[in-house]
Amino acid sequence: MLQGRNIVEGWRSLLVHGLLALLFLILIGRYYYLMIVFHEKYAEKATANHIRAVPVLASRGVIYDRAGNLIVDNAPSYTISVIPIEVKDKPESLERLSSVMEISVEEINRRIVKNRRGSFAPAKVFSRVPFEKISHLQEHRLELIGVTYSIEPIRNYVSDLDLSHALGYTREINRDDLNRFKKDSDYQPGDQVGWKGLEKYYESELHGQRGFRYVEVNALGQEIGEVQDRAPINPIPGHDLNLSIDSYIQYAVETALADSSGSVVILNHKTGEILAYASRPGYDLEMLSGRISSKDWNALMQDPRKPLYDRGIQGLYPAGSTLKPIAALYSLENHSNAKERTYICRGSYRLGNRSFGCWKKVGHGKMNLHDAVQQSCNVYFYNLIQDIGLEDWALIAREFGFGERANIDIPGENKGLVPDTKYMNRKYGQNKWTKGNLLNIVVGQGDVLVTPLQLAQFAGMLAQRGTQFEPHFVNRVVSKNGDVIEENISQSRDRVTASKDSWDFVHQAMWDVVNGKKGTARAARQKDWEIYGKTGTAQNPHGEDHAWFIGFSLDERYPYSWAVLLENGGGGGGIAAPLIGKILRNIAKRPS
Amino acid sequence: MNIRSYVVIRLKELEWSTLIFVLLLSASGLLAIYSIEAQHVSGSDYFFRQSIWTVVGIGLFLTAYFIPRKIIHNLTYPAYGIGIVLLIIPILMKSSGAVSRWIMIGSIGIQPSEFMKIFLLLALAKYFADHKRKLSNIKELMTPVAMALGPTILVLAQPDLGTALVYFGILIVIIFWAGIRPLHFFLLLAPIISMLAAFQTLSFFIWMGLIIVILYFNHLPFWTKILNFFINVGLGGITNLLWALLKPYQQQRILSMIDSDSDPLGAGYQVSQSLTAFGSGGPFGKGLGEGTQTHLKFLPEQHTDFIMTVIGEEFGFVGVMVVITLFYLLIARLITQAYNSKFRFDSVILIGIASIYIFHVFVNLGMIVGIMPVTGIPLPFISYGGSFMVTSMVLAGLSANMSSVRRAVG
Repeated sequence: MLQGRNIVEGWRSLLVHGLLALLFLILIGRYYYLMIVFHEKYAEKATANHIRAVPVLASRGVIYDRAGNLIVDNAPSYTISVIPIEVKDKPESLERLSSVMEISVEEINRRIVKNRRGSFAPAKVFSRVPFEKISHLQEHRLELIGVTYSIEPIRNYVSDLDLSHALGYTREINRDDLNRFKKDSDYQPGDQVGWKGLEKYYESELHGQRGFRYVEVNALGQEIGEVQDRAPINPIPGHDLNLSIDSYIQYAVETALADSSGSVVILNHKTGEILAYASRPGYDLEMLSGRISSKDWNALMQDPRKPLYDRGIQGLYPAGSTLKPIAALYSLENHSNAKERTYICRGSYRLGNRSFGCWKKVGHGKMNLHDAVQQSCNVYFYNLIQDIGLEDWALIAREFGFGERANIDIPGENKGLVPDTKYMNRKYGQNKWTKGNLLNIVVGQGDVLVTPLQLAQFAGMLAQRGTQFEPHFVNRVVSKNGDVIEENISQSRDRVTASKDSWDFVHQAMWDVVNGKKGTARAARQKDWEIYGKTGTAQNPHGEDHAWFIGFSLDERYPYSWAVLLENGGGGGGIAAPLIGKILRNIAKRPS
Repeated sequence: MNIRSYVVIRLKELEWSTLIFVLLLSASGLLAIYSIEAQHVSGSDYFFRQSIWTVVGIGLFLTAYFIPRKIIHNLTYPAYGIGIVLLIIPILMKSSGAVSRWIMIGSIGIQPSEFMKIFLLLALAKYFADHKRKLSNIKELMTPVAMALGPTILVLAQPDLGTALVYFGILIVIIFWAGIRPLHFFLLLAPIISMLAAFQTLSFFIWMGLIIVILYFNHLPFWTKILNFFINVGLGGITNLLWALLKPYQQQRILSMIDSDSDPLGAGYQVSQSLTAFGSGGPFGKGLGEGTQTHLKFLPEQHTDFIMTVIGEEFGFVGVMVVITLFYLLIARLITQAYNSKFRFDSVILIGIASIYIFHVFVNLGMIVGIMPVTGIPLPFISYGGSFMVTSMVLAGLSANMSSVRRAVG
């Protein structure tokens, strides 16, 4: 019945109209609420949804020597990472990567697990990848879904000098440090951080401040592109270090040391600047920076020559006869007849039923103070110390910087040891130690322990007649635009006071050590400048004695003081003195 | 009368406003799909395909407009029968576990459940027109309810809860329009409300109280009252059982409407991202192609059910209001025309079409802003998808056909 009449009542039509209006009003209300009332809240949410701040690493400050020659800078290094979620169902990607990198898939998986920071974040699997491998990966990138590479700046050791212990190295920050630096939110997992040496001590100066660029990401967290209306925050590069190291002198030191184990520290005693610093054997900084295989690390750790050990500031040795000037100076200041008093050396000294030998078995004969210093006669000082006493000796030794840190600007310094009555009582028991211990101490054996740096500083104080400068490696911290951020000018401290006469006497004796006919260090003598010095032989219970030679020059051109230690080198005069002689001759030959 | 003069007369009779609304809505859909696609080089061709479907749809709009009412009236029941057969086919072809809504013809998948909306609507219209029913007796509802129940059960088997609800919505509106007594209407809808109310104890008891009051004050045989009451109590009681029978994803969709954060990567994730898209669009939007939610693929399947998020994010509240206003004008006109139309057949068809549009628009625009469950109901003329575009266009053409002042014979 196509023509059947429409009989719908008006109220039904009104009700349907009303329902329609009601539903549409609900919709409009809801959209108004969402899009007008809460617009800002959702706008923020949308922004947070799709904008990610991607850190841009600040380039680490570079390191120059005192003349402005580059020692360490940064070079790009390729890092290969794997995005866990993308390789999850793509074992062929990892197989391909494994064949290119010649490492098993299991090892790659192990590294992914170890360095994983979420499913979408790239996990590092290889660092310092050679460019050829990267270009190989580029060619096969279609078969390497989920494998990415990035460029990271790494330390580049420009100079051939082996300043390993002074410079130290950087490593990936560990969890402890990350927590420790938490307030300085600039550090993130994966960052390089100074681990040893200057890199560690000047970490906050070298580090710089990371920047950010803002990228758009999609729902999968994949990068789409740069955000246009949000300017990136540029990274602030780290400050540069201008070292006091003189590459020429350092080179001379390294050439002379060759393969020996030991340490040479040369400093400017008028400023405290360290001009050359060597601890041998050193290690390969390139190998230690960034990532080191556990195999290489174990090899370094187990090397019997202890290459990781910084002998210059950590090595504790008996000082040997190099400490004799302390007793001499005390005597000159306190005994009215110091210069005249003589003792006879017959090659040994008897104390009770024990015999204490001199290095010269046949004896030096009748010795005065000058000759005893020059010829390093032990017996003379065994006698002399009877008139001094441990407390007085220790007091001066401390003033010369022994038994305390020199506050040099690399971490890890050892204090050494200057025994006093309290220490001896503690170690041996009240009154259990005898004058015999004292005899050992005055000739730098037994309980006295020093570092090469302390002895170099000691030599400098002798040169400066008791004035001490804190030694340092860094002269200036300079920002990238050339502003000097920090200048290291050591304050001088007059710590050991003695009369001019006493100092002159000690200087004369030390001059004679090098230049006198009977001096023990004639091999250190220089043609046209004056060298002062003192040899030492540190008895080593584990083997051949360690050889010491400390000294200084008062020449205006060369205000240098030094300490040379050659492990198992035998007598100081025989090997350490010729070594510094060779170094100094090279210094004098420096082309202007 | 020859065909040519018929066409000329019908063209003069055409009310262009319906066609204009439909074209404006289709254009906004194409704009949104264009925006999604313009940013991606991935080689999808939704814009191209949707353009084709729009052109095909306009052709079908005109076809539906020009077909004489008499022919429509005569073909109604056969069409309904064919629709039922088409609904059975995908179920028979169903491979285990897969959603079987599609019949593949070459590379084009068609959804017979969409076309069934038209056939059901026409069948119901014919039934009420032919039988002059005043629906004073509730038994007269048996046939129309059965007509709707058949396809509803078939799409539930696919399973497609959303479309089943559309069929049911068509039935409800049409029997209301056809003159069902308010009490009968209430008794018909009461079981559904009982089931919904059963999810919460307090609301269930309030509702039962209301049923008692209404039954008490109406003249019905005593046993009918008792039966009705216990039917409602019983249905409320087994609701939890029925809930357990729902597929987990259906449960999840309903749950995620209640708390969109409970399932951040499922339906709730979509709604949460959709809210962000609308909210961040603000009053005027971010501009065409500038929607970050849209272009960074935060919304999966954005070109279909969530298409309005593009308009919301890129054209803002203003853009959304334009679309909502167009829909309101289109639907309100249909209701008015349904009331004014001379013949019952036309009137029921018009109100049926209005009910389909209302259901789709409200559920779609509601679900994308979290006030309706995510049920997979597309937005007429705007969402990508051939079958539904064709259906919407045919319905619009039919509505124009039924509402035009008719001078030509037919």
